Amino acid sequence: MSARAGSGGGSDGRIGRARTVLTVVRAGLRSNFGLAVLKHRLFKEKKDRWLVPVIGVAALGVVPMFYGVVLLIQNVYEVLKPMGQERALLSLGFLAGQFLILIFGIYYVISAFYFSRDLELLIPLPLRPAEVMTSKFAVIVINEYLTVAAVVLPVVVTLGVVAREGAGFWVNAALVYLALPVIPLAVVSLLVVVMMRFINVSRKKDALILIGSILLIVMALGVQIALGRSAGNGGPGASAATITAFFTSPDSLLNRVGAFFPPGIWATRAVAGGFTGEGLANLALLWGVSIGLFIGMVLMAEALFYRGVVGLGETTGKRRRLTRAEMSRRVSSGRRAVAAVFWREWKIMNRTPIFLLNGTLVVVLFPAIMVLMTTIDTGGGGSSVSGDTMALVKAMASANPLVVILATALFMTICGSLNGTSSSTFSREGAQFWISRVIPVAPREQAAAKFLHSYLVAVLGVITAGGVGAVVLHLKAAHLAAAAGLALVAGVLLTVVGMAIDLARPLLDWSNPQKAIKQNLNVLLALLADIGILTGVFFGVKALIKAKLGTGAVLGVVSAALVLLAAAGYAALLRFADKRYPAIE
Amino acid sequence: MIELTHVMKSYNRGKVKAVDDLTLTVKPGEIFGFLGPNGAGKTTTIKLIVGLLRPDAGTIVVEGHDVAKEPLKAKQVTTYVPDFPAVYERLTGLEYLNFIGDVYGVPKADRLARIDKWLETFELASAVTNPIQSYSHGMKQKIVLTAALLPAPRVMVLDEPLVGLDPRAAHQLKEMFREHCDAGKTLFFSTHIMEVAEKLCDRIGIIHRGRLVACGTMEELKTIDKTDAGQSLEEIFLELTDK
Repeated sequence: MSARAGSGGGSDGRIGRARTVLTVVRAGLRSNFGLAVLKHRLFKEKKDRWLVPVIGVAALGVVPMFYGVVLLIQNVYEVLKPMGQERALLSLGFLAGQFLILIFGIYYVISAFYFSRDLELLIPLPLRPAEVMTSKFAVIVINEYLTVAAVVLPVVVTLGVVAREGAGFWVNAALVYLALPVIPLAVVSLLVVVMMRFINVSRKKDALILIGSILLIVMALGVQIALGRSAGNGGPGASAATITAFFTSPDSLLNRVGAFFPPGIWATRAVAGGFTGEGLANLALLWGVSIGLFIGMVLMAEALFYRGVVGLGETTGKRRRLTRAEMSRRVSSGRRAVAAVFWREWKIMNRTPIFLLNGTLVVVLFPAIMVLMTTIDTGGGGSSVSGDTMALVKAMASANPLVVILATALFMTICGSLNGTSSSTFSREGAQFWISRVIPVAPREQAAAKFLHSYLVAVLGVITAGGVGAVVLHLKAAHLAAAAGLALVAGVLLTVVGMAIDLARPLLDWSNPQKAIKQNLNVLLALLADIGILTGVFFGVKALIKAKLGTGAVLGVVSAALVLLAAAGYAALLRFADKRYPAIE
Repeated sequence: MIELTHVMKSYNRGKVKAVDDLTLTVKPGEIFGFLGPNGAGKTTTIKLIVGLLRPDAGTIVVEGHDVAKEPLKAKQVTTYVPDFPAVYERLTGLEYLNFIGDVYGVPKADRLARIDKWLETFELASAVTNPIQSYSHGMKQKIVLTAALLPAPRVMVLDEPLVGLDPRAAHQLKEMFREHCDAGKTLFFSTHIMEVAEKLCDRIGIIHRGRLVACGTMEELKTIDKTDAGQSLEEIFLELTDK
């Protein structure tokens, strides 16, 4: 009798199972990246063809920024090289990539493992829990390759080219790149699987998922901080001898930077070492730990995954009939249509964990993470980074207040507007968009309500970023007020742009809410457009400074230009909504 | 009143004609049943009436308002129940009803009375404060129906409204249909259940491959094939759509 997939032992059986896993992974990738849909839309319906040149132009727009990053890396390399510290740059790149995965991977893992609706199709199939989870894990790893590429590739490629590295560097870099997301994602997956196992028995699942995710993020940060502290070997306050030793000992900076997350050191040594004993040993260490953690995750999945996922979508509420008086209180006495749409947006966004985590909470968490990162005592020698940063900011503020105001405004804008709230506002409605199409509310009014909601999130970001500026950097109130004014106006413009992009091509046919916000191309397009706008403002300011205008005049001109653009953009958005809504079929 | 005049709708750049030169009038006080095989164009027609799709040609007028030219006025007098109850799962039933009441401008007293009545009818009163996410398919269908009834619209358009309902709710819905139309209002619904159409509808239309192949009262439909005057609607349907 031939060993069928799933029938257990024997090499045939193992091959059968491996094939099954591959089939599930392939199906997961196809469904996740929507390749069939994309093909259909591009070549059959010929609907999204206009997107190809748009993405091309957007990508070209990012080229100057990337060029700037490459130049910066090159300059830092030139500074670090004579001190024998150049490897720290690689380490920084790897760490930044892995850190991104560690923090944001939590969202990915929770939504892919527990909230994708294809689970309802996969669970009844004759697949082991570990196989389903492996397929989901593979999809996230491939997604993360794309995320990490933006951070890691510029550093690795620039360094490799500038230092004229040999084959060992490039081969190991490719192998390290392949392993890079595995460790942080496996760690996150292990934590999430355990967390969900216990959350699933509770009735307040949504709230617990939210609290659990935040706790995991805080834990990830805590681990970073603890590792950073334990690695302390002389901060800026240390003795001159220690500092001299630090700069004369090769790779001391690498060790300090990498101490945040040891796989960062292994990755750096594997790449920089090339085919040497050091390079190969570190490569083996990185891959060994990655495989070990992956196996651990698979074993854990076998035991806990289905217990966390089965029945998760079910919610039970206490059934209770309202009394007449209660009903009378709770039945609305009639809001205006704009207010009704606004509250609908607000409630749905804040009650859907994936939307909340990627939208409203990002604007609170991002500045909070920045605070934690800047106040980490990296050296353990008594002096903190925040002390240095504050001194630097104070010096800059008195020497050139304009730069401080503009930099603060930029930080506030990034915190408030560079999230997916506005650029997924129509997509988030998904299959329920029919309701917006049939209700007797003018599209412009619905767009205005959605604008209010998205802008409120942006304002929240400006406020929290302002809090960081005030509490951590001790910026002057006048500087903060000027920066907030600029950021609030810029927020209108960026919100309008994000909404317009999402309205042009709303992604409504999703089954996993993650797709509406995190894997929505519109969010990326809006991000590119936002970077383009901010780059434009940067060059505008540069020209004004070159024209020898004073601080007040520069701020006045920039504000006036932004107000005009924001007002024109808002009016255009409302007109576009009237035109576009009826055409969305 | 619903008036469709020479309405055309095609997909795939004209390759698939979903609705082909459809002309049809549904009068006030009339329950109109719309029948047809799968893919005949029923849902497309319904989506055209409620403004979810735009016709390639022709006009659709609801209560005197051209759906293309005065969409808000047409929407104000129409409510729609889709074939699948995709509703805001994160809202409670009551929040959803409040939302619909707000956007249709239903006064509080009317709102209270109607919510009370339809929640009782559909046995949803004890679940209305729970998130819609926790509802069964049938309960979701009922909350969409309650929402559609809340504005007491002049025109109701329903796509397969009986699917997923338990026998009691289906019976109550049919009674509601009659009540609605006895008040001089219009009701247009699609169904696959011949018996319901035969017993309930004042007039029936049969659509096949996008074209209206028959339209009239049950008695009028029976005269189509004069060789057998005792045909049931099912037999008429099968004969007309077997081409």
